[in-house]
Amino acid sequence: MEEIVLGIGITALAGALATVAGAAEDTESDIGSQGDPNSQVQLAPQMGYIHRIFNKAVSGEPPAYGLWCAIGAGVAWAFLQLNYNPALAIILGSIVAVFIQGIYCTSGYLGRTASLAKFKQPVYIDILKSLTSVTMAHAFVAIFCTTAVCYLMSAALHHPFALPLLGLIWGIALGAAGSASGNPFYGKERQYQNQKFGAGVPISASGNIVRYAEAGQRSSLDNGWFTTKFAGPASGICFGLIVFLELWRTVLFEKSIAGWGAVIAGIVLILIFTFIDRWIEVWGRKTYGPYTEPEETSS
Amino acid sequence: MTVKMEASAGKMPHNTLMAYGLIVAVVGTYLTYLNVLTGVAIFSFFGGIAAVAALWWGSDTIKHLCSYGLGTGVPSAGMIAFGSGAIAMIVGTKFGMASPIVTLILAAILGAVIGYTANNIINMNIPVMVMSLMELAVVGALTMLGFASMATGSFQFKDLIVGSMSLSVSSAGTAAGGAQQFLVTAIPQYGNSLIGGAALAVIFFLGALALQHPFNACLGPNESQDRTLMLALSCGFLSMIAVAVISFVFVGLLAGVVNLLISLIAWFYCYKTYIDLSKRDAYAWLDSKPIIEVGGDE
Repeated sequence: MEEIVLGIGITALAGALATVAGAAEDTESDIGSQGDPNSQVQLAPQMGYIHRIFNKAVSGEPPAYGLWCAIGAGVAWAFLQLNYNPALAIILGSIVAVFIQGIYCTSGYLGRTASLAKFKQPVYIDILKSLTSVTMAHAFVAIFCTTAVCYLMSAALHHPFALPLLGLIWGIALGAAGSASGNPFYGKERQYQNQKFGAGVPISASGNIVRYAEAGQRSSLDNGWFTTKFAGPASGICFGLIVFLELWRTVLFEKSIAGWGAVIAGIVLILIFTFIDRWIEVWGRKTYGPYTEPEETSS
Repeated sequence: MTVKMEASAGKMPHNTLMAYGLIVAVVGTYLTYLNVLTGVAIFSFFGGIAAVAALWWGSDTIKHLCSYGLGTGVPSAGMIAFGSGAIAMIVGTKFGMASPIVTLILAAILGAVIGYTANNIINMNIPVMVMSLMELAVVGALTMLGFASMATGSFQFKDLIVGSMSLSVSSAGTAAGGAQQFLVTAIPQYGNSLIGGAALAVIFFLGALALQHPFNACLGPNESQDRTLMLALSCGFLSMIAVAVISFVFVGLLAGVVNLLISLIAWFYCYKTYIDLSKRDAYAWLDSKPIIEVGGDE
């Protein structure tokens, strides 16, 4: 019983850490225009829209965060082998990971922008100076929290996988959660505030992203300001729920039916969420109607 | 799918580049054997040099493959390279001194099978597919082998799975004269080794992102080969820094410091050169200047 109580405590702590990690991850990727909004930032100069948005092209978020968290956990693992204090080891791991993340960001922006010289997109070097540190700070929070979750799983819950492998898996999960739940706020809404609400992204508007702010010119910090309020919490809840429910079902049901209890609980959870998703989709379609039909838009 | 998109013509022919990359990668991995010959671990950094050479060649292969309209497929190319390479590398290390050569051959066979499947069964119909996936699998395998031998100082399977030895003491009965005799056996510990501790997973991803990033970051109409390849070197040495930090566990303080210093100096030089090349290629290099309108719809 005591073991289960401790397990539930660890589960709650890991869920809380994961929520913070999810929020920080999405804010970081939105400030850097990583993931699917990146294609429009990349396309804009080719359509004649020169912009001052950070174009941080480092693959998709899941592989990128897989690497950052794997480095964080891997270096932390190495320092743990050298008998360092766990908190210090995790911090050192996160620092190495963030250093590499920052270098990848700058080289991505410089490379993509220099290759767009034909379309007269200049390299705004102040973007790198002012925004790289912001993305690195958010990435540090995300990597530190995720590595800490992995350490809790490995040390307190005795997960059979080694720490670096846990870092890799949960890093990919973190990137996927942010990419799936947070990015639409930026890529489908914030980039297209000049389009009619709910119009989707018509082909003719491709590349015509918002480049001017309420006052002056929009920088990626403005995008971060927007997505911190909407996209960050959404990603945080998503990743926090994933980590919490995953650990919760394992801690509570692992002992029942020779381990199959946790598997059955997982399947039941998937079914419940499938039902909720379907219900929300049907409710959304009924409430907001079908996607605009041709005759309605022409009137 | 088969329309070839514009990519820089390239100053160095791909085959020359492949030859350099392959030779440096294999020779570099073999040079880590100096550790065994001399009994010290400071020659481990040759493994990192080997891995960087393989990545340098691989990023040009990705450019070749992905110039056939695979814009968003660039990161995936890095993953498939290391996915197939990982299998070849782990099997290959079982062959003792012949490990790097066997790894190379196994990876090439694996890459050819995957390339044939993609091209003729899934019908992607890209002319360079089979050759490119063969090259990428070899790049993935040699990079992992290089970084693994840099981290542990050896490219042999037993050194990759055994971290340290712990002693087990059991009583072996009482000898004549009443003195207790103990049987001491060394038990290998797997949990703190490169593969057992899953540090190889970190190497996998360090390599995979360093392989795909150069072309993914530099793609566009004004992509130029020297800049992309300089970024490949920069990313390779950046990965080497992380491997050097992890290598402290396996090769000790002195060799770890050598690893770290060499990778830091090499990375700094390549990164600085890359920034200079970006400056050369950029349309303009502006600091705190407003948007220059060239005529959109607004």
